[in-house]
Amino acid sequence: MSMELVGKIAFWFYTLVIVSGGALAVTSPSLVRAMMGLIATLFGVAGMYLLLNAPLLAFMQLLIYVGAVSVLIFFAIMFTRASAEGDESAEGGLWVQARSVLAFALPAGVLGLTAFLAAPASIPVPVEVAADKLGQGLLGPYTLAFELISIVLLAAMAGAVLLAFEKRGRK
Amino acid sequence: MSPITWYQFVAALLLGLGLFGLVSRRTLVGMLISVELTLNGAGLSIAAAAQLTDMDAVLGQLGTLFVMGLAAAEATLVLAILVIVSRRFKNTQTDSVSELRG
Repeated sequence: MSMELVGKIAFWFYTLVIVSGGALAVTSPSLVRAMMGLIATLFGVAGMYLLLNAPLLAFMQLLIYVGAVSVLIFFAIMFTRASAEGDESAEGGLWVQARSVLAFALPAGVLGLTAFLAAPASIPVPVEVAADKLGQGLLGPYTLAFELISIVLLAAMAGAVLLAFEKRGRK
Repeated sequence: MSPITWYQFVAALLLGLGLFGLVSRRTLVGMLISVELTLNGAGLSIAAAAQLTDMDAVLGQLGTLFVMGLAAAEATLVLAILVIVSRRFKNTQTDSVSELRG
């Protein structure tokens, strides 16, 4: 079996994982199940990064999203005492469903059509970038963005602590 | 069709699914999950564009990493906001957070 065929099979497998996980994430009435769908999607996107010959991105995807962000969202579900069933079970009216489908179809359709009509010439084999090149990029031409994202993360963390902090004894 | 088109289709699909959830969900946690889907689509689109064209691949991969960092910061802040909202309104239904509605 040629490697190209293996790559195609892997691509469609990851696409299947992403689509089914995403559908579960946005339609499941139970938030915990929606979370499971999101995690499946995150794994699928990590597989896409591997296919794109970017193993560092795949690793970071698993580390940051599956490891950290999903735990944060589980905390959110826990803190807000969302019940396992029923938070999302109330049926929306016809208008809600119609505008949801519109919100799905319009941007995805326009972007998909653009990607189809204005497809750039793509190289058949993805570029391989060594991790040390990425590190040199972070410390060389893109230092400002690197420092800014650390400030954003620090501000977000400090802000989150400040927002959720509750003085002892105050009820 | 060139490979990059397929990757961009998947990314657009992720964006669409995220927007679908953002509109149809009625709790803040459900909306947070949808935003994460959208941001994943953005990251995948940037990475595919960088890896499969003549663009500077370092720039693209770093851009995807920055999107992941922003998503982490956003999730942290939304968690804090959720804690406040659930403390004040006793639930996180989007309909109950409507004090400013005229």
